[in-house]
Amino acid sequence: MDFLDLIDALQSLADGVLFGATYALLGIGFTLIFGVMHKINLSFAAASIGAAYASLLILAGVKAPPALVFLAAAGCGGVIGGLVYLIGFRFIPLANPLATLMSTVGLLLLIDEIIVHTTAGVPLNYPALFSDVIIRAGPFNLRGDLMFVFLLGCLCMVLLLMLLYRTRLGLATRAMSQQPVAAELCGISNTKVNILTFVTTGIVGGIAGAMIGAAIGMLSPLLSLPLTVKGLIVTVIGGLGSIPGAIIAGLLVGGLENLFQYWRGVSERDLYIMLLLFVFLVFRPGGLFAPATARD
Amino acid sequence: MLELQGLTKHFGGVRAVEKVDLSVAQGEILGLIGPNGSGKSTIVNLICGLFPLTDGRVLLHGTDISDLPPHARVTLGIARTFQNIRLFGQLTVWQNLWVAQNSGEQFGQENFLRRWLGGSRRARGEIDRTLEFFDLAHKSDELAANLAFGEQRRLEFARALAAKPSLVLLDEPAAGMNAEEIDQLDRRIRMLRDDGVTILLIEHHVELVMSVADRIAVLNFGQKIAEGAPADVQANPLVREAYLGTATAA
Repeated sequence: MDFLDLIDALQSLADGVLFGATYALLGIGFTLIFGVMHKINLSFAAASIGAAYASLLILAGVKAPPALVFLAAAGCGGVIGGLVYLIGFRFIPLANPLATLMSTVGLLLLIDEIIVHTTAGVPLNYPALFSDVIIRAGPFNLRGDLMFVFLLGCLCMVLLLMLLYRTRLGLATRAMSQQPVAAELCGISNTKVNILTFVTTGIVGGIAGAMIGAAIGMLSPLLSLPLTVKGLIVTVIGGLGSIPGAIIAGLLVGGLENLFQYWRGVSERDLYIMLLLFVFLVFRPGGLFAPATARD
Repeated sequence: MLELQGLTKHFGGVRAVEKVDLSVAQGEILGLIGPNGSGKSTIVNLICGLFPLTDGRVLLHGTDISDLPPHARVTLGIARTFQNIRLFGQLTVWQNLWVAQNSGEQFGQENFLRRWLGGSRRARGEIDRTLEFFDLAHKSDELAANLAFGEQRRLEFARALAAKPSLVLLDEPAAGMNAEEIDQLDRRIRMLRDDGVTILLIEHHVELVMSVADRIAVLNFGQKIAEGAPADVQANPLVREAYLGTATAA
């Protein structure tokens, strides 16, 4: 491998890590819901893309500047998150492990169908911010839109971690994921915490959806299934229920994905990511940060 | 203040609790004893609303609370500890109390942001005082999971008090404690009673119950077989039979 080749490889790695912030946010969404309810919400990535679509709709309606698209996506994501909880979890028997899995698969398909029907399946352009800015660092170019997506992702993560670790609301959520019965008997309503978790992850998902739209410049209903798979891979590699794990795994998967694409082309890219998942499942099934299991 | 009327709970064919009437007066320590499987813990779980009743009612200050979810009952002033410790292991000692503090009546009046994001200085002061009372102040930044067993038991008790309950249900608080720790527990239970907290004490350790309780109720096979002052209960032939078996049965 000659020098220029190495530079290009590093460039793709860096771009991938920046884009990986979106995977990290998706992974956080999956992992938070799993941490609180011990359920997988398979509709999460689709809902995130749905929120990004909804934000386009709002923007077209009120003629707001494109910078507000992220705010709109966050709001729509929160609303959709709450709806997903109401439809897919609130009245579904939680004791049956397959019930919510099926209901969330149903929601995934439903959201996809709604998108396809309202847009006739045609991809829509999504406003990118700072796409004309390119920062040169030695032989490398850092794309402004990717940098923006990355920084926004980091900001979300910091705010989320502060919420979870520094406020009583966050501590109540973590208390519930550790000891649901004791939390209920400390006056914490499990139902309210569940709703709040879904709304919060929905907001995070909406921002992630908008970031994905902004980074690739468009939205398509074809995004939701691959993103669901990526989100789940990130969650498993990071360790189910671990937020730091999801962040690191998200950046890792983003970086490696781009690197594999550079080396082997886009058609083989996901093959290697699946292989990475396989390696983790075999050698480190708990993920990077297996969360401490509470003893009873 | 707390009244159980015809409290009944069947698990399938098992009559775990059968028509138990029991009342706890304001400011007293009521001991609830009975052999293993006599329904003591089930009664605690019914009072705090963990399972629905098969029949009967739970009244608090004369109001029927039988249909309220557990967290709502905490808000009304009922708190409990667990026989098998259920702390929030990955939260610090201080945070365990802070989380539990949200439901007290006096905290319910704070506005949403203050209540869920910050917490007032007064609330923080209360936590520090409770930790001091349970001799846990020096551990306040440790993760609960890293505490020694005796400390975890004390933290369970402290957490139950965080929301300033008027009634505390102690489910075997002395389990696994040594003599000195039981002495301290005895002293703390009395001090709380003197502060006006009503206590329902479920305990295997008969000495502790006999020493600290104002009144004792005895359960056997889900039914109440005796109730009264410690000395009377101790002398009751039905109670002796329940614990030791009859001469013919043995």
